[in-house]
Amino acid sequence: MDADTNAVLFNAVPLLLLAALSLTAAGLRVRASRRQGLLLTDLPAALLAGTGLAAALLGVAVLVEREPLAGRVWLGLVAILVAAAPVALLLTRKPTEPAVPAPAAGAGERLATGLAEALEPEELGRLVADAALERFDLDLVQLVLLGEDARTGQVVAAREAGRDVEWLRGLRLDLDGEQSGISAVVRDPVPLAVVDAPASGTISRRLTDAGMKSCAFVPVLADTGTIGVLVVATRSPRVFSAEQLAQLQSFVAEVAPTLARASTAHARLASAREAALLRATQVLSADVGLDERLSRLAAGLRDLLGAEAVDFWTLVPGSGELECVGAAGGAGAVPGSRAAPGDQPASGGTVESAIVSLGRPRGVVRAHLREPRRLSPADRSLLDGFAGLVAVALQSADASELTSEQATTERGFYRVASVLSEPLSSEATLDAVAQAASESLGGAAAALLRPAGGPLELAAWYELPEELRRALGGDPEDELTAAARSGKLLASKDLARETRFGKALSAAAAAAGFRSLLAVPLAQPRVEANGLVLVFFEEEHTFRDDELELAGHVAGAASGALERSELYELERRSRALAQRLAGGGRELASELDPENVLDLASRLAVELLDAAAASVWVLEGDELVLHAAHGPGAAAGLEARRPSTTWLLGDIVQSRAERTIADARRDARAAETDPLLEAGLVSYLGVPMLAPDGSVQGVLSAYDARPRDWRDEEGEALEALAAAAAAARANAEHYQGVRHEQQRSEAILENVADGIVAVDRDGRVVLWNPAAEHITGVAGAEALGRTPVQVLGRSLGSEGAHDSPRLVAIRRGSEEAWLSLSEAVMTDPAGAVAGRIYAFRDISSERAVEQMKSDFVSTVSHELRTPLTSIYGFAETLLRQDVLFGEPERETFLRYIASESERLTAIVDRLLSVAQLDTGAMSVQLAAVDVASVVSEVVQSLEATLGGNGHRFVVSLPDEPLPAEADRDKLGQVLSHLVDNAVRYSPAGGTVTVGARRADSGVEVRVEDEGLGIPRAEQERIFRKFYRGESGMRTVGAGATGLGLFLAEGLVTAMGGRIWVDSDEGRGATFVVELPAARD
Amino acid sequence: MGARVTRVLVIDDEAPIRLLCRVNLEAEGMVVLEAADGPSGLALAQEQLPDLVLLDVMMPGLDGWGVAEHMLEGEETARIPIIFLTARAEFRDRARGLDIGGVDYITKPFNPVELAPLVRGLLERLDRGERDELRHEKLTELRSLMSDS
Repeated sequence: MDADTNAVLFNAVPLLLLAALSLTAAGLRVRASRRQGLLLTDLPAALLAGTGLAAALLGVAVLVEREPLAGRVWLGLVAILVAAAPVALLLTRKPTEPAVPAPAAGAGERLATGLAEALEPEELGRLVADAALERFDLDLVQLVLLGEDARTGQVVAAREAGRDVEWLRGLRLDLDGEQSGISAVVRDPVPLAVVDAPASGTISRRLTDAGMKSCAFVPVLADTGTIGVLVVATRSPRVFSAEQLAQLQSFVAEVAPTLARASTAHARLASAREAALLRATQVLSADVGLDERLSRLAAGLRDLLGAEAVDFWTLVPGSGELECVGAAGGAGAVPGSRAAPGDQPASGGTVESAIVSLGRPRGVVRAHLREPRRLSPADRSLLDGFAGLVAVALQSADASELTSEQATTERGFYRVASVLSEPLSSEATLDAVAQAASESLGGAAAALLRPAGGPLELAAWYELPEELRRALGGDPEDELTAAARSGKLLASKDLARETRFGKALSAAAAAAGFRSLLAVPLAQPRVEANGLVLVFFEEEHTFRDDELELAGHVAGAASGALERSELYELERRSRALAQRLAGGGRELASELDPENVLDLASRLAVELLDAAAASVWVLEGDELVLHAAHGPGAAAGLEARRPSTTWLLGDIVQSRAERTIADARRDARAAETDPLLEAGLVSYLGVPMLAPDGSVQGVLSAYDARPRDWRDEEGEALEALAAAAAAARANAEHYQGVRHEQQRSEAILENVADGIVAVDRDGRVVLWNPAAEHITGVAGAEALGRTPVQVLGRSLGSEGAHDSPRLVAIRRGSEEAWLSLSEAVMTDPAGAVAGRIYAFRDISSERAVEQMKSDFVSTVSHELRTPLTSIYGFAETLLRQDVLFGEPERETFLRYIASESERLTAIVDRLLSVAQLDTGAMSVQLAAVDVASVVSEVVQSLEATLGGNGHRFVVSLPDEPLPAEADRDKLGQVLSHLVDNAVRYSPAGGTVTVGARRADSGVEVRVEDEGLGIPRAEQERIFRKFYRGESGMRTVGAGATGLGLFLAEGLVTAMGGRIWVDSDEGRGATFVVELPAARD
Repeated sequence: MGARVTRVLVIDDEAPIRLLCRVNLEAEGMVVLEAADGPSGLALAQEQLPDLVLLDVMMPGLDGWGVAEHMLEGEETARIPIIFLTARAEFRDRARGLDIGGVDYITKPFNPVELAPLVRGLLERLDRGERDELRHEKLTELRSLMSDS
């Protein structure tokens, strides 16, 4: 065995075997990861593929060189091949890479060119940094390449907005000696993202000094390990997502081999062949399609072999034919042409090599030589090597196809995953699910239908035209509802020819330019019925298994998202419900009118549940009465009455449990029972109103205008509101009762004649009723808050027992007022004195009367005793045996006895008259009386008895008689009293004038004295019983009984006349009696 | 009773009462002075300094209490014993009379025959210097009457 053979056998063959194994493994891995729905970047797969490619190329190289690989050439090739593998894999994915924005194509192109042209490390680094800046929207990128021992590093490029960052560039780093993101990544080669760089303790201050806020460190990995670190940074805070980090990593993996090569082996690649081979291998990493790749390979092989033309043929699966897939040189076949395997047998001018991929033949590489010749072993190896490259290209194209499918799937997952990762509201989640479904399945629009109390209803949509929105949902019998119910996936390739969905939907879809439809059942959280996700496609779409599988995954993920948002919503709603309930409870508690409480409760129920209406039925005996309602039909339904055993409402009352109706239109009883349901409301939730004592007070109901599945927590919240309303109503009723009681008490206190005063525990007045104001003369406003001592000048309380009324004197202005006062002590529940209540009445006048009575008794006693003393005394004197009286003396004595007896009789008569006046038994005998004669008689008779006191009597009478309608005796009595009074209250020697004359309406008698007169204030009082003028004004006869004027007035009135007094203090008094004229 | 004649001043606004007193006291050998009202009675008392004054309480103008108070003010008149004549039965008035200086009282109507012995007995006890005991007796008597009622 020669050296060549050795090289081939011991190097090329094992290498190619290794390549085949690696590629197979990589392919399997990719398939596996796709099934598992893993992330795009599968590093082991990429490494496997890379290794495979590297081995393949090395094998080819060995074959070409016919010598074992050694030294630096070997290293260089390793580098090249390592570069090729992951780049190839990544680039095949590029056309479908979602994360790469369109403008990045320019940078990508420059990068590809730069990589292909194998520039100096600095220049390369600059390109890489610029590409990264552009592609990932960064503010600063620096590329650090490590020294061989990985203990030092150098910033080979630092770029910022298209220019070098000079102070960073070329910086040498001591990775052992410094704490930095770079050293961290070198130690542990996984991407590291730092959101808040200034606050981070693990990274150096360089980035922060450059004004950066967030950054990420991505290791540059080659087969020899970490060769460098790409540092990216932004000025504004940024969270690098796992996805972005993965993309960064992919990007770095893309450039890593080139960087490795650039830094170590660039200068070593000298020979043209190597350069050609290099270019050929670079074809695999170029950003071009399979066809271009193959034609470039064909051109490369043609050049290397100096052949006329080169073409590649692959077996068409199933047909046994060969198809030209790539060609170079005019003499070869045209790509796309077909031939049977035996059509063009290898002639002398053509040489062939089989394309074997993953252990099975894929086709053939054919070179058309300018002239027939036997290929040198080197050329032969070259040909075989290119056949291997073509196999790799085809293989990677297969992988690319797989990857594009995988990308679709993954994009959907990203979309759904990003939706899932945020706690969104239900509505937002539904929208996101629609969008995710549409995007992930490559549709043009999507709709999400959910069951709403029966038929499906459009809940969310994405890019869905309005006419299509109108055509969806609402029909409980259509195929979509059936599909949702059975959980079956429904696909329609051509909607126009579809009959299952109804014409309206088909027409609307056609009008919107949609041709295909995929309907995916969507499990609904907490609801039995399924929803449905509809994805519309503009193209006629034949659904592949993997798409259907993906649709299933999307639906599953969406269900999860809905579940989560449902929980989130639930919590949010629960919190909102709790807040509204708390607010409502406060409002209810402050309402003091029972009817208003019910009204408020129905309004709060509407707010609480975002309902369309609410009502309150109150149980009154055997009936439920609609007391309050809000919403449509509310006003008309008020005061409606239903038996307490009625369907629905009665059920709630009897069972004391909630009842719900998602769609009441299906039950005719609903409209009959509830006026609001009759008014067109559709959905019902009713709960019992339970009073604090557990009794059912009525039913609180909420309504909605659309079918609605009432949630458990909504029922619970309404029940809580009902309980709060029931309690508030009980309170309000209680309060009203108390208020009525209070009003009654206040009314009583206002109107009671007794003064009522209440003081608190500190003795301050808290109540001072009008009677108290009247009696004390102190206004309530003045008394409140002060103590009785401050108000009245004395305490009302007493230390002793309070059982019987006490007599208390207070000052009322200038006079003294006497109060009969009772006292009650109020105690608080603990038994302490909480206050006192004083009730009192003004007995000043009673007391005055008492005093007058007492005075009267003593006066009468005196009046009676005086004549009695004389009668008794003279009788005893006359009976004396020891003294002999002469006849004149005896006569005087006897006359006194007689006159004093008359006096006594007059007194008794007067008392009798008073008694008669009091009892109404006074009778007068009216007749025509000549007043003048009566006046004369009275004055004459009184002159005899009273003349001794020195008064002068003047009688002034006209010559004619003065007939009046009167009782002669009574008139005499009246005049006697008046004259007697005049004598008593005027000084001795004074003149008493008695006159009579005809007046307008009758006869007028006047009795004038020259006494002190009567103060105006007293003029009204003098006619009262027992009233006597001040003793100081009396001059004669202490025995006034205080009955004279009382009697005079009584008698005059009885005779139909009237009596009054004209007097000015100090100038005497004139009493005037007016009597009606006598009738003819 | 010595050779000296007992002089009694009667002050009363009622003429029959004055006459009654005069007749019965003169019958016992006493000299009777009369006044029909308070002021003239007081003047007479100051001028004549009688041995005793029979004083009506209820009179218009200056009443019996006023006369008694004035008499207490004068050094000589203060020593003259007073017997109040009163129609009032109230104990309060009786006590007042004793406070003011009266040593006894007679309630109307009274038996005029008993007047002279009463005056005589009173003057004898006063002569024996029993004025204070006398007042004490009368007050005790009043109290027992008051507590009985």
